[in-house]
Amino acid sequence: MDPIVGFLAAAIRIGTPLAWAALGEVVAERAGVINLSVEGAMLAGALGGALGAVATGDPWLGVVIGALAGAAISAAFALVAIWGRTDQIIAGTAVTLASVGLTGLIYRQAAAGSTTGLDVQTLEPVAIPGLSAIPVVGPALFDQPVLTYLVMAAAPLVWWLLFRTTWGLRLRAGGESAEAARAAGVDVRLTQTVAVVIGGVLAGVAGATLVLAQVGSFAERMTAGRGFIAIAIVVLGRWHPLGVMVAAGAFGAATALQFAFQALGLEVPYQFFLMLPYLLALVALTGVVGRVRAPAGLGRRLEPADGG
Amino acid sequence: MTPLLELVGIAKRFGSVVALDGADFVLGPGEIHGLLGENGAGKSTLMHLVFGLHLPDAGQIRVRGERRSIRSPRDAKALGIGMVHQHFTSVPALTVRENLWLAAGRHGAAVGDPPEAQVAGTAAERLRARLWAGLDPGAPADGLPVGAKQRLEILQALATGADILLLDEPTAVLAPPEVRELLALLREFADSGGSAVLITHKLDEVMSAVDRVTVLRRGRVTLSGPISAESPASLAAAMVGAAAVGELAPPERPAVATTSNDDAPVVSGGGLEVRRGEIVGIVAVEGNGQRELLRAVAGVGPRSGPMRVVEPVAFIPEDRTTEGLIPNFSLAENLVLGLPNDDRWSRGPWLDWSAATIRMTALLPEFGIRAAGAEAPARSLSGGNQQKVVFARALEARPAVLVAENPTRGLDVHATRFVHDRLRAAAASGVGVLLYSADLDEVLSVADRVVVMARGSVIPVPSGADRERVGALMLGAAE
Repeated sequence: MDPIVGFLAAAIRIGTPLAWAALGEVVAERAGVINLSVEGAMLAGALGGALGAVATGDPWLGVVIGALAGAAISAAFALVAIWGRTDQIIAGTAVTLASVGLTGLIYRQAAAGSTTGLDVQTLEPVAIPGLSAIPVVGPALFDQPVLTYLVMAAAPLVWWLLFRTTWGLRLRAGGESAEAARAAGVDVRLTQTVAVVIGGVLAGVAGATLVLAQVGSFAERMTAGRGFIAIAIVVLGRWHPLGVMVAAGAFGAATALQFAFQALGLEVPYQFFLMLPYLLALVALTGVVGRVRAPAGLGRRLEPADGG
Repeated sequence: MTPLLELVGIAKRFGSVVALDGADFVLGPGEIHGLLGENGAGKSTLMHLVFGLHLPDAGQIRVRGERRSIRSPRDAKALGIGMVHQHFTSVPALTVRENLWLAAGRHGAAVGDPPEAQVAGTAAERLRARLWAGLDPGAPADGLPVGAKQRLEILQALATGADILLLDEPTAVLAPPEVRELLALLREFADSGGSAVLITHKLDEVMSAVDRVTVLRRGRVTLSGPISAESPASLAAAMVGAAAVGELAPPERPAVATTSNDDAPVVSGGGLEVRRGEIVGIVAVEGNGQRELLRAVAGVGPRSGPMRVVEPVAFIPEDRTTEGLIPNFSLAENLVLGLPNDDRWSRGPWLDWSAATIRMTALLPEFGIRAAGAEAPARSLSGGNQQKVVFARALEARPAVLVAENPTRGLDVHATRFVHDRLRAAAASGVGVLLYSADLDEVLSVADRVVVMARGSVIPVPSGADRERVGALMLGAAE
């Protein structure tokens, strides 16, 4: 394969789960919740996807079960952070750590009686007729698993929901000012819970994508910080659904660079390229790419009166 | 005598907005200097320049006759300048003592406790001793009553030994007795050699409390001189411009169809009754349950007992920028947020933004809102214009009941007048208006009927009661 096509295709492939998770996090953060449990929800989605696909034999049912697992983890986070009024950062970290333990436990139980572990049939790339014939861009963008096309369709849908519906307006109002939203009759706690669970569904799909469209099996801690990178992507994408798609592509490209450089036979330790995405995350979080206005109420604990 | 503080030809722009356009200002020793002007006239900016929060684009700042460049509040404090900000700056979780240590910085920690004996030192030391009355150095700042919090703010400003005190609307949050006390303290401060700049909107305060006055209008000084040469009318004229003075004459009271007894009240319950076409005013000292009552009527707070309120209810909350509007949202977004189900822009769950934008654009001239357009973020508007947006939105709901909480707080003469007119017009069109204001005179002049709230219950004011009687009821005096 042409090295440029290979690089671009790898960037998109690696960017896909990041885009799913970041898209979900945009919804949560626009509602005012910084959800660090997205890493845990992704991990749960990966395990759910693997178990679901093995049990049913259908990778698409695996995706659905992965999404539900992600939703369950986020619901647990919402319960603690929003209804229990715990600090969001602490609650998110705790839920992620619990998810690491829980998925490890379930995985060992499930894999104990099996010889193949949790190997699954992956979703094969589907070439879009016509578009995939475009030179360079075609095979890179339009010869991917369906989950990649779905996230490309989900981004404008999320944009539409956030910016063109009453529901989205009220959700964003809660993320800017719980007091003002409440005065306008919004049940902020309920809205935030719904946003977090939607974020969890998308994070679950992100984890399932990792297993079912890329790796082909589950391993403990396999998300390896991708959930946290998704949070950096949200910042880099300026809390905008379409912005995070571009940012996820950039992170995918940073990771894909290592394959490209290795293929070129450059004398750079491969660990340097492993480091690149995390370096990019750091740069994004420190605002080097230009300070933007985060939702004004992001991460704020609700007062009892804000609940509605 | 050399002036303590002298500003010459100060100019300051923020982006395309000219905040100050060649302003001069002189503060003499032992003087209380009133600084007046409408919202956005440049008063706060001028004081922020003196306190080192902004740097002037042009002009000179002289302190005790010497030209100074004040680049930070630290520079200002070193020059003996202290500032009391418009909003509380004490850290809620820290105690009074810790807040004072924080304010004093390297100037020493001796400020954390009240002085032990009678002090006869500098003006700042004497004022400090007086401000301590009733303050416990070990008490956390967030539990203090508003008046004590304000005194803590002044103590913080004085913690570095300031003899020039800049006060940005210090009386806005205070009840009348607290205002009198504060003004008396400032007078003592000035008598013992300190100087103070007092920013306020209240003309009566200026007339009674200051020695000299400077009026700003759109970044320029329109009047400066001893207060003895001025009258409320001349000050108002300098604030709003000569052409506008005619508009400030008391309006014809619109004929209001008040309490016709067969008409069912639009609000009843909680000891309160409001009928169509009347303005019921609530007067109360801060923290007597009026906040909760207003929210219960407006439907944004819990209703403790049975209460009947005719829908729709519109609510004008006290704080424009936290409860009223979302600063980062555009005006059109703020409009829709308050009226999400209005069929002009609501198509089921979908929104027709162009329809909402067209409506908001039409509201701008209708309410005299000065804004770049319906797409401008609410934060880009001045306080008075933000309040007009809140009003426009409230009236768009075609409410049966309009609940207004301190609707003129922090507004200038012009915007205050606008709010009063709109409240009267709403009542005249058959809306039942419930008005609370911390300004007793405002309620007495705008409302058709007044009730008092004290310790959480509503007390009707007997007909023919005068201002003193109402004041006694507010303070919970027995019948």
